[in-house]
Formats: sequence, C-alpha cells, structure tokens
Amino acid sequence: MDIERFAGSWKKTNEKPQWIESVDVETRGDILYVSIFGSAAPSPPVWGRVRAGVIYATRSDTTDTRGGGFLANYSFDDFDVEVQANLNLGLLVVATFVKFRGESGQAGLPVLQDRFTREFFFRGEA
Amino acid sequence: MSVAPASTRLDLDVLLGDWRNTNPEGKLKRIVVSSDKVSVDDWGSVAPSFYSFTFEDPVAGAFSAFFNLGFWWVRLQANVKAGVLVVVVLTEFYDSSGRSNFFDREFFHRCSAGFQPAPLPADEAQAGSPRYTGETS
Repeated sequence: MDIERFAGSWKKTNEKPQWIESVDVETRGDILYVSIFGSAAPSPPVWGRVRAGVIYATRSDTTDTRGGGFLANYSFDDFDVEVQANLNLGLLVVATFVKFRGESGQAGLPVLQDRFTREFFFRGEA
Repeated sequence: MSVAPASTRLDLDVLLGDWRNTNPEGKLKRIVVSSDKVSVDDWGSVAPSFYSFTFEDPVAGAFSAFFNLGFWWVRLQANVKAGVLVVVVLTEFYDSSGRSNFFDREFFHRCSAGFQPAPLPADEAQAGSPRYTGETS
C-alpha cells in the first residue's frame, strides 16, 4: 500500500486554538509514524511519536492501493486517545476519541467529559 | 494536567434511534443506537463508547464501536452533524484473502427516535457476539 502520501508536516487550518496544533507523519517502508503536538489544554503540548496501529486503503471496491487512513493510539496519565486520520481533498482529517480513566468525583479536579474531535490540517511547506 | 472523569452520564438523545443509510448502494443499511448497544445489519450488537463534542458539555454527539466478526474486524466511528450520522467504517482483514484493510465513510438519517426501534435480524437470531458472514457488504 502506498503510504508515502501521508508523509509530511500537517498544520491546522483553524486559526484559533483547538485540540491538535500539528501532525507530523513519517513513513519507513510499510511503517507509518505519527507525532502530534497539542494546541490548547488539556491537550498535551507534545503527544510524542507512535507507530500507526493499522493503515487502511481508500476504498474496498476498487483496486486502489493508496493509503486512505490510519489509526494510532496514545495513552496519557488521565486519558487515552484513539486517533483516526484520513486524506480527503488534500486535507488530513483527524478525528480523536478521548476517553478519561480513573475514579469519578475526585475533589478539586476539573470534571471533563469523554470527547470526540474532528479537525482539519493542510500540508505545510517542506 | 490532572482531571476527573465526569460523574454524570452523557445525554444521548441526539444519537439514539434507528438510522438508515442515505445511499441505497451503501455497504451498511441500518444502524440502531440505544443507550447500551449499537446494532448493525446482521453483525449483531456491541456496547459502544459515547463522546461529547466538548470536555464540558454533558450532551453526547459521537460514539465508537468495535465489531469482531471473526476474520475481519470493523471499527465504527460516528458523529452527528446537521442531523446526519456520519459514520467512518474502518475494516481490517485477518484471513488469507489478500484484501487490503480499507477506510470508508457513509451517511445515515434517523427514521425513528424516542421509542424502541424494531429489532434487527441479528438481534432476533442471536443475542451474543456478532458472527462472520464471509462478506463485507
């Protein structure tokens, strides 16, 4: 599968703060690594570099072997994030599913809901 | 940053109901969402995870669900936008067919909400885990 098309430094299209500031994607053969940088709290400023768990082709009913999407997972102290990204019309569309861990009702801590995000990124200049 | 998970359940009203594919040629025909399960065509039912659009809002707008269908796995990632359920379908194959994992997106409209929808065939046939049908559509 052609995954080179994911490679690059992807910048957020939204001028305002959001969940993710930028996404760097590197490929090594059939392996894809993603590095994410947070935009606004509670998003960590640096999420780190992880290997994509699964890479998906664009469609099932064609012979197209171009990579269309990938899945990556992050785990932080208080929450886990499943990242699902796909290419669409030159944009990297990144959805995240943020799921908090731990006991509820801890005194003095902000209470946050599990959250879904979908944000858009354009390819930055090399 | 330390946080506490919300102690109250999300309001699921915008997601609950009987959703039908807007495209008659779509691979998935129907998704039924209740407070404790998501049912798809003849795949059966699984427990979903529900998500809000913001960290503070107790109203759900999205869910994810994972179907283990034996030789193929499907992750559904869905959110409501302008009354449409936008569903990302991530399919992985673990058989010897040589098929590539694939990504797809489909759109659903809600044809019923606020009452118990009629059960899917899979719910009537089996109350357990989804079964492998050998086909993806």
